[in-house]
Order: sequence, then structure tokens, then C-alpha cells
Amino acid sequence: MTNAVSLAQQASTGVSQGFKNRIINGAMVIAQRTTSAVTNDSSDALYPVDRFFIYGNVNSKFTAQQNAGSVTPPAGFTNYVGITSLSSYSVGASDTNTFGQPIEGFNTADLNWGTANAKTVTLSFWVRSSLTGTFGGSLLNSAQNRSYPFSYTISSANTWEQKSVTIAGDTSGTWVGATNGVGIRVVFGLGVGSTYSGTAGAWSSSLYYAPTGATSVVGTNGATFYITGVQLEVGSTATSFEYLDYGRSLIQCQRYFQSVGTTADIAYGSSGTAPMRITAVNNGGSQPLTGWQYPVAMRATPSIQTYGAGVAGGNFVTNDSGSGSATQSSFSSTDIGFKGCRINLTGRSNSAYQYWVDCGTGSGQLGWTQSAEL
Amino acid sequence: MKKYKLINHVDYWMDNTKQPNTVMLVEKSLHIPFDPDNTDYQQFKAQVLAGAELQDADGNVMTQEQADDFIKELP
Repeated sequence: MTNAVSLAQQASTGVSQGFKNRIINGAMVIAQRTTSAVTNDSSDALYPVDRFFIYGNVNSKFTAQQNAGSVTPPAGFTNYVGITSLSSYSVGASDTNTFGQPIEGFNTADLNWGTANAKTVTLSFWVRSSLTGTFGGSLLNSAQNRSYPFSYTISSANTWEQKSVTIAGDTSGTWVGATNGVGIRVVFGLGVGSTYSGTAGAWSSSLYYAPTGATSVVGTNGATFYITGVQLEVGSTATSFEYLDYGRSLIQCQRYFQSVGTTADIAYGSSGTAPMRITAVNNGGSQPLTGWQYPVAMRATPSIQTYGAGVAGGNFVTNDSGSGSATQSSFSSTDIGFKGCRINLTGRSNSAYQYWVDCGTGSGQLGWTQSAEL
Repeated sequence: MKKYKLINHVDYWMDNTKQPNTVMLVEKSLHIPFDPDNTDYQQFKAQVLAGAELQDADGNVMTQEQADDFIKELP
């Protein structure tokens, strides 16, 4: 086959070049926040790996962790997310226990959902569970007033199986186009109550996270649900997983989340003696100032969380050229943009001094995260 | 219920006027910009309207009516 023929065939079948998989980090490789287990929290979505959230409206029903259980991933993969049920919880009608990823509108606008030209997509993934039976999830729009519950069957316990679901694009409803909002929300159900469960295989104007009758992972104490290789692509056939190089996956993830000095990820040294240092000047006001340019422009102006000694909200030390120091638990970053921010080291007012903070996870060292998740 | 505190922006280059342009989720030291595209900001507005505590930049707790009025003026 010549390149010309290959390209012509790909064009005629709608096979794209370079961004086949609309899911980011579908191989579960990037985990900037933590590689430890996170337990579902009713007040917030949590991220066991980048871009993939867990949420449960009742606290502490399941954990999620990159490579939990240390099983061998499917051939071709090195990572997965492992979800483990913490109890035998009987879900109530309005309970939702979910795992998934919201996809940005810029990355789904070409699907033309909400129009007569809506394109068909195929969702594929590898899954392994200690349970068998019918499982499911849903695709939803930003306003969550359009949803498509889907189902799939796990036939053998504790065995990796590849699943695919083909979904005719929605020709109705309002779908976010080429913006930084939510284009499509992909959700896998882990135990969803009847209020949020609907008929599989059909678009609905109701809010459904799962198909009616799907197996509840949180319903069995110790049950496991492992997943990787998640891919959403144009067309009616699941093709091979689009495995990206690590650097490109990291850059894609950094559009939504970045960290500085919250883990051993910057110049630090084996004994903490060579950390990255940021310096600040006092311009005569009450706060020494410095700036930080993000390595990747973010989806939106991010929220910034400060860390001291590797702990969120922990203390760090600001030093000055007068041989003084002050302990702080937060810097004031009141000027935040989507490409960079200004860092104000509060409470240090001597304009004759120079100021610096060491960054890292050591005692007195500063770190921070920037989140612009969907 | 979560607690939020307004953080003032100080205009050093003009006249040192102070105006809040971020809010901090206190228990997480999370600075949230006033950006309608930021999901923490969306959650902040919803939570305050639902009764979450909002402090001004000096740490004074706003009444629910004051907080509601402040939220309604935001982008």
C-alpha cells in the first residue's frame, strides 16, 4: 500500500491523524497528584491518575489507585487504575459512584453532536473485575441533560477483557462546541441508584450515569474493578489503542493540572541540600513579589493550592538577606492567569532585603499545585 | 460545610487600592480565581449561596445576605 492510497483510505473512512483518541491519559500512565490510594469523598472529585476522576456521594465506599493490587496489565500496557470496594454497600436510589473523564469541547467539536451530522463514536477499554455480570456507564453532555447509558458484560472474574461500545452521535440537545467547557463526559458506573439509571443503548434527556440493572461494584466488600486502555474514537469500530509517548501525555495532562515541589519532582538533592529556589523582591509594598510561568498554558485560570514540606496547607519558610526568616502556611497569589501567576510572599515588608523560598518536600520548603480541571 | 475567605488584590502600580480577585478555600489553602471557567470557582459560588461561610479579606464572617449580594456581583 502506498502512502497516497493509505491516506486516501483514511480520509474516506474518517480516520484522523494524530488525535484519534479523545481521551487523555487513557493508558493511566500519568499520575501527578499521587500514586497512593485515594478514598472517595462526597465533597470533591478525586483523581487517582491524571484526567480520570472518581466520585461517590457517600464517603468512603471505595478507593482508587494507579496499579492497585499489582496485577499484570493487559499486553501492551504498563498501568491501570484499580478500584476497590470498602464495604457491602446497598446503593440508595439517588446514590452515584462513578469513575470517568470529562473531555474538553475543543477535542469533541468535530463530532457535530447536537446536529443532524452527528458522528458515530466507539468507546473501547480493557477491564478486569472480581465480579462478573452486566456493567455499564454513560456518555453525557455538559449540562447533563443528555445521556446515553451503555452496558457491557464481564464474563470471567479476575481476567482482563477488552470491551467496545459503539454509540450513534446525538442529533438532539445542546452540546458544547469548540470551547474550553465540557464537550462529552464519559462515565463508568461503580454503583448507581435507580434515579440515575436508564435504558441502555438510547439517548435520553434524563441524567443517567449507568444502565438500569448494572452490577454495583461498591455492593460487594473487597470487590475490585480495574480499567485501562480507555479510548473514544470516531467511527463504528474499535481500533488499536493510540499509545502516546510519555512526554506528550504529560503535556496533555498539564493543561488541566500541574505541580511544583509537591513531590520529589524538582531539583532537590539526596539530602535536600539543592532545592529549586525562587527569589522575590519587595517593591516598597508589604509583600515581596515574584512570578511563575507555567510550562504549559492551562485550560482556564487555575486554582492554586500551597504545600509546605510536601503537605497541603503546611508551613514553609521565607528567608531574607537580613538573615531572618518567617514561617508561613500560604502565599497569596492574587494575580493568577492561565499562562502564569504572580506569587506574593505575604508579611515580609522590609524593602531593603532580598527574599527567597526553597521549593520541594523537605522541611520548610514550598510547593504548590495548579488545577484547571473540567 | 466549606469555609471561604476573600483575598485582596493590591494595585501597587497605581494607588494601592485593594479589591478581592481570588477566594481561598480555607481548609485546603486553595486559592481560587474569579474565572467562570474554573470549576472550583463555580463550586465556590454554589456553596456560598447554599450557606457556606464566606469571610471578607480581614477575616470577618459575612452574613448570608452580604454573601449572597457579593456572589451576585461576581462574573
